Amino acid sequence: MKLAIDETRCKGCNLCTKVCPYRIFKEGKHPNLRGIVVPELDRPERCTNCRLRHLYGRQLCGVCQLTCPDQAIHWVEEEPYEPHKVAIEY
Amino acid sequence: MSFEDWFRQDRLPHIYCAGCGNGTIINCTLAAVDSMGWKKEDTVFVSGIGCSSRAPGYIVTDSLHTTHGRALAFATGVKMANPKLHVVVFTGDGDLAAIGGNHFIHACRRNIDLTVVCMNNQIYGMTGGQGSPTTPRGCISTTTPYGSTEPAFDLSELAIAAGANYVARWTSYHVKELERAVKTGLETPGFSFIEVLVQCPTNFGRRNKFRQVADQIEYIKAHSLLKAKRDRLLEQGERIPEDMYVVGELMRRSRPAMGLAPTEVKP
Repeated sequence: MKLAIDETRCKGCNLCTKVCPYRIFKEGKHPNLRGIVVPELDRPERCTNCRLRHLYGRQLCGVCQLTCPDQAIHWVEEEPYEPHKVAIEY
Repeated sequence: MSFEDWFRQDRLPHIYCAGCGNGTIINCTLAAVDSMGWKKEDTVFVSGIGCSSRAPGYIVTDSLHTTHGRALAFATGVKMANPKLHVVVFTGDGDLAAIGGNHFIHACRRNIDLTVVCMNNQIYGMTGGQGSPTTPRGCISTTTPYGSTEPAFDLSELAIAAGANYVARWTSYHVKELERAVKTGLETPGFSFIEVLVQCPTNFGRRNKFRQVADQIEYIKAHSLLKAKRDRLLEQGERIPEDMYVVGELMRRSRPAMGLAPTEVKP
């Protein structure tokens, strides 16, 4: 699983930057085609739900998805053989 | 299946302003409805007029978008006509407390098997920021330009006094707790009332020194007081600050309810 932000729905309120316990969402810098500054993902491989969803077989955390007022945050399955990045936190 | 399946994908993105918390509350309510395992044909969403009442238009189930303040009256009719339906009412503070106040207390008194989610943004958001019955004292709106001088309505206390079976109050910051509260409300037979304090950056925050969306969220988060802590403070005889919102499950009881589905007799 990996995090994805739907740019056609996001309105740039930056509420996700406040609620993620890992602070994965960062305020964006550049406006997109619709003139909206969409948040950026900072090392999204740290997300709990991305890493452990299939192991536990249920939704974990998911606060960003519930909080997003515009239903722009969701998880997508990776393509087969997509390279994985591993983040190690000390 | 997740709560995203309950949205009408062709209607999104919705018309709410950037940073409006109504979308958060719709997410939480739909997550709770989804976890109940109800069928979409058996669920009805009812709403009145206002920002909050746009919500059923974005949901795939059958819905009613009714006249101002009469959401509960229509929902009562739906429930009494077919008690097998699960009825959830989205409403706002201007809708429920101001023009629909009478319907609200009588729905509480009758204890009809409804779940009411009240998005309390403390102002009339859709019509341009007029002061509503829940505008806190001292807050600026277009009709109270020198600060509201009236005391605000406490909707949860009103629901408790009028006889609702389940009353809870949360804010749009407490998403997980809100989801759990809505789920408990859906499970409870009888009238369940969940009041949600929500930020309104366009009409409330802009005039009340919350320049960013996050400022008002931080304010609501810092000024919410858990009910357990409130009780502890009362026991110790300490004063509770005036501007705190008491959040948590405020009432759960089992008064006889009306409009319950008849229990099916197994052959």
